[in-house]
Amino acid sequence: MPHNVAIVGGGLTEWGERDATWKDLAQEAGKATFNDVDGIEPEDVEGLFVGAVQPERFAFQSHVAPLVAELLGVEVNKMIARTELACASGQAALRYAWLAIAAGQLDVALVLGVEKMNIDREHMPEMQSNMTNVLDREFDGVNGLNGPSHFAQFAQRHMHEHGTTDEQLAMVSAKNKNHAAETDFAQYRKHVDVDDVLDSYPIAPPLRLLDCSGITDGAAGVLLVSEEKAEELDAETTAYVTGSGQSCMASNSINNLPSMTTWPQAGEASREAYEQAGIEDPLTDIDVAEVHDCFSISEIIEYEQLGFADEGEGGQFIEDGRSHLDGDVAVNPRGGLLGCGHPLGATGVCQALEVYRQFAGDVPNARQVPGDPETGLIHNLSGSGSVHSVMTLARDPQ
Amino acid sequence: MTENDQSEKNGIVEADGGQLSTDGGERADPPRDSVSIPDEIELPRLLDFYELQDPEHTQIHEFYDNLREGSFTTTECPDCGAVHFPPRIVCPECHSDDLHYTDLPHEGQLHSFTEVRGTAAIGMTDDPPFVVGVVDLGPIRLSARIDDAAYDDLEIGDPVGLKIMEIEGPADHERVFYRFEPV
Repeated sequence: MPHNVAIVGGGLTEWGERDATWKDLAQEAGKATFNDVDGIEPEDVEGLFVGAVQPERFAFQSHVAPLVAELLGVEVNKMIARTELACASGQAALRYAWLAIAAGQLDVALVLGVEKMNIDREHMPEMQSNMTNVLDREFDGVNGLNGPSHFAQFAQRHMHEHGTTDEQLAMVSAKNKNHAAETDFAQYRKHVDVDDVLDSYPIAPPLRLLDCSGITDGAAGVLLVSEEKAEELDAETTAYVTGSGQSCMASNSINNLPSMTTWPQAGEASREAYEQAGIEDPLTDIDVAEVHDCFSISEIIEYEQLGFADEGEGGQFIEDGRSHLDGDVAVNPRGGLLGCGHPLGATGVCQALEVYRQFAGDVPNARQVPGDPETGLIHNLSGSGSVHSVMTLARDPQ
Repeated sequence: MTENDQSEKNGIVEADGGQLSTDGGERADPPRDSVSIPDEIELPRLLDFYELQDPEHTQIHEFYDNLREGSFTTTECPDCGAVHFPPRIVCPECHSDDLHYTDLPHEGQLHSFTEVRGTAAIGMTDDPPFVVGVVDLGPIRLSARIDDAAYDDLEIGDPVGLKIMEIEGPADHERVFYRFEPV
């Protein structure tokens, strides 16, 4: 890429069931983002990218990128768009901002992910309909498939074909939820152990309630700048984008998924990113990985596809503690989606912010990745798992 | 603090038309127009999950026509031989738009399944618990509701057969959809 691009800071709202509107969340995260970065004011922003999945349904509002510009007083003179790629919308926004700066079109971009998902309890069927419609409504949604019931079938097949156990799934949840207990903005801040997970209600068997991420209101923002701008700012900490890959099979519907045990697209997207970043062995070359644990089974499959474990060995990888903070690669130190919750459009942005904060040493000791982390990865899947997005980050420019 | 209190605090006095009460100097509320919002609306047809299935609304109506007649079919491309599901009007493999309908087996095996026990989507709120699964029919694999069975009764590989449902609801033509059940 012609220009190096760095994250120079960011901020976010508290995540959970918030007494706040979509617009409130956008303002809170926007203010926190500008507060975090010395030397960048709203008038410096040339590009604005807003990750948001379903404001039309959850907040009855469209055209949200200009709405954010209004709320934060940002006059955008180069590039503005909302990105929608279901659960990877935040990373899609990061990717567009990165490409625009790398191509020399802008020097400063604000990326904000916002999702308001908790509408009153009586409207829960509306929420479920929205999630169901991420797949092909006519031939998938109609069957009543939602998030847990889709991913439960991956868990069932992974157990059937590879011998993965309920306990191994629960170990993923316990690890991430215990990290989230140390994360001040997380939706779930209670320590849980493997038995707590196994004792929770099997809401879509074999998945239990504590194998699932939450329904979350939240927003997160980061500022991306060119290397020249980062130097001008004399930024204390930077997280440079070193690689970015995406892969989507010719499918969205569950009817055309070739496998119910794995996501080859996660492998392809990560290999593309690793090649750009010069990463040969992800297990040794990546210090901190923020991966898309929408359900415990997801993280197990991702170990395998991101090059941390062999296919079918993801369960053993967590059982051996290799994804713990002091393991071979620290996975989801902020608590992941399982612990922090999953405000769809905000998740990818928050993952990038967490990697930045890990580089800065700006997290509580209990979840700081030891050994002064210098390299990181964020991963998101979207929809049925047919699309995967991977971005690699490093403290120093390439 | 009410609007009236606020007005008094700010020293706003209505010149005329405002009704001043005699007790304590507080003003009575002026009459207000109101906006009426219905407590409930009927489920709009667009929010049910079943498409309109007639030739005036969809170009894959033949799939639904065949299903209504009792046959489970999908499109096949005579140019490249691809069999698609869901049915298409353009072959995703070669972009031919000269597709024809071919019969699918009415029996297959359960590839995977689970049970929806939480809140379900609009129009299905009374349905949980219900089983959803992926059914392997040979030429294709598809997702489907599995009726007349509970999660604990089933195993991967179990044989299941087609079941055709009539959809009652706000459409001016008879709608149908497929499910499967143990055989």
